[in-house]
Amino acid sequence: MHLPRVLFVTGKGGTGKSTVAAALAVALSHRRFTVLADLSTHLGAAALLGAALGEDQTELLSESLEVVALSQRAELNSFIKRLVPLAAISERMLRSRTFGYVTAALPGLEAFLLLERLRMMAGEAALHDRYLVIDAPATGTALELLAVANGVKGVAPVGTLRRLADDVQEFLTNPHRFAVVITVTPEDLSVRETLATAETLKSARRIEVAGTILNRSTNALFEARDLEQLGALEEHRALARKRLEERAAAIAARRELERAGLVTFELPMLYRAAMGRREISALARVLATGLVAL
Amino acid sequence: MKSRALDFERYRLIACLGPGGVGKTTVSAALAVSGAWRGRAVDVMTVDPAPRLLDALGLDGNASGPRTVSLKVLRAVPGGPGRRARLRALKLDPKETFDSIVRQHAPSAAARDAILSNRIYRNLSSALAGVGDYMAMEKLLELVSQPDTDVVVLDTPPASEALDFLDAPRRLLDLLNSRAVTLLGAPAGLLRQFRLVDLAARAVLAAFDRVTGLNLLADVQAFVSGFEGMYEGFAERAKRADAILRAADTALVLVTTPETGRIAQAREFLHALQKAGLQVHAIVVNRAMPALPDAKAIAAAKLSAALKRKLRRNLADHAALKERETRSLEALSAVMPSQAQLLLSPELDHEPRSVADLGVIGANLRPAPR
Repeated sequence: MHLPRVLFVTGKGGTGKSTVAAALAVALSHRRFTVLADLSTHLGAAALLGAALGEDQTELLSESLEVVALSQRAELNSFIKRLVPLAAISERMLRSRTFGYVTAALPGLEAFLLLERLRMMAGEAALHDRYLVIDAPATGTALELLAVANGVKGVAPVGTLRRLADDVQEFLTNPHRFAVVITVTPEDLSVRETLATAETLKSARRIEVAGTILNRSTNALFEARDLEQLGALEEHRALARKRLEERAAAIAARRELERAGLVTFELPMLYRAAMGRREISALARVLATGLVAL
Repeated sequence: MKSRALDFERYRLIACLGPGGVGKTTVSAALAVSGAWRGRAVDVMTVDPAPRLLDALGLDGNASGPRTVSLKVLRAVPGGPGRRARLRALKLDPKETFDSIVRQHAPSAAARDAILSNRIYRNLSSALAGVGDYMAMEKLLELVSQPDTDVVVLDTPPASEALDFLDAPRRLLDLLNSRAVTLLGAPAGLLRQFRLVDLAARAVLAAFDRVTGLNLLADVQAFVSGFEGMYEGFAERAKRADAILRAADTALVLVTTPETGRIAQAREFLHALQKAGLQVHAIVVNRAMPALPDAKAIAAAKLSAALKRKLRRNLADHAALKERETRSLEALSAVMPSQAQLLLSPELDHEPRSVADLGVIGANLRPAPR
């Protein structure tokens, strides 16, 4: 199946968005040049790959993988620098607290500028035949972010912003250019939120959902009858049961996601004492085999 | 069974801070139940609770006033809470709270209607920078002033930075008192008295309107000037809230989970709070792993070699995760201020669904091993 060049990775808080985005970027970078755009405030995906970035900075991690740190704030800053070309004044203005609060009051302007930047990056990605993987905010904020263009269309019937909004909206709803990947963990709450998010994206927003990545999905290790023999080892039995239950939860989660028509790819729980570049590479190898499915 | 983790006799306010998705609301509710269990009259204010937690607290989606939570389960336990014990829960509705403040404090009916019908206010009173946080503050003042309440437990909106909540009043006040905004409507002739930076701000804000076609600035200005006359009251209450948060009988509790990224975030929070001169009383690491069983028991057991292999593998897998957690906790311990406690809240095998579950979470809170 054809993967669009831009993949927007979101999910409920704590489901491993940054880990999945980083692994996905590494996996894709083995196919062709990939840019990982980190939108998280603490630069989770960038840090997992060992990149130490400041706002709006770029780092080349391998010959085919680049990370860039994006923030709404930085986009606003560069927008203002374009409007006020006199650097001395624009910089003092940006430092002024008051100004920060006023711009924060303009609905979704910062978010919109960020979307516009992503659209431009997507254009470049298409031009150079690259992938763009976005480590996006958690679901709630991400849905708001993706709705901003439409919101702008509502309040600005004409003008430059309206034209930009139309372009952004066209980009977001074009399944050949843009798709969302939702990370989910084998827990009831996480699955339910994922189903609701996918439904909102598909029906209300007409945005393509490439699939869900069922993260931290464990293997069973035990069989149900093993537990019967562990009567004397109560604590070990509890730990074995936990593992079986986690496997059962992963199967149930997968079934439910697939029943809702969502392509679901399981990413294994990594029982490792650290989580860093090596672990991301391990996950990327698993993902590489599954990209065909997404 | 009763939690000794926090001294409920000592604190009048327990404020839980932290990023989204760490179970802040659950921890707040569990602390509130613990307080009631210890015989205190407790009010807990939650922000955006998960549906099951709403059920557990007997709240429904629309409840804005405090609801009394039944303590029957706790009272059934021998040595349960005394007669004074009471638990009330309420859910913060920032928009509703803002509306009621405007209604209550607007100098005139005309001023009130001007604000309530303003486009910025209508679209933004929940999205506007810091409004959720500010309204939590306002609600806090209301709760703390009730004489029949011993302890208020406050859950705060998810934050990306530590001071999001504590700083909210100042941010909102800055907006309401903003020079740049008042400038927007000033006739050009008056502009000489303003600084160059202000003029640049005015130019940029006007350019927004031109570029965006939104004509929002007039609305922003009307919104801000609508608060003229209310500003003093806002400022006064914000000052009081700030004083309460810094008071000796207030406990600031930072909530996190043991994942590496979250711990790094918690360290940043801690640093920012200390820099702002705020004392953190406890850090609760939610969903911590329970202790692991002993490996020796496997060797001694009469089991097939294959099953023993599986048990060892399972133990080794979980030990690796436990080690990851231990490393994270050590990184956190290293930066803990001396007066603060590091508390672990072990993971429950299901989502909390009842007051009893919340009681268990509260009772299980224990200091991290040194």
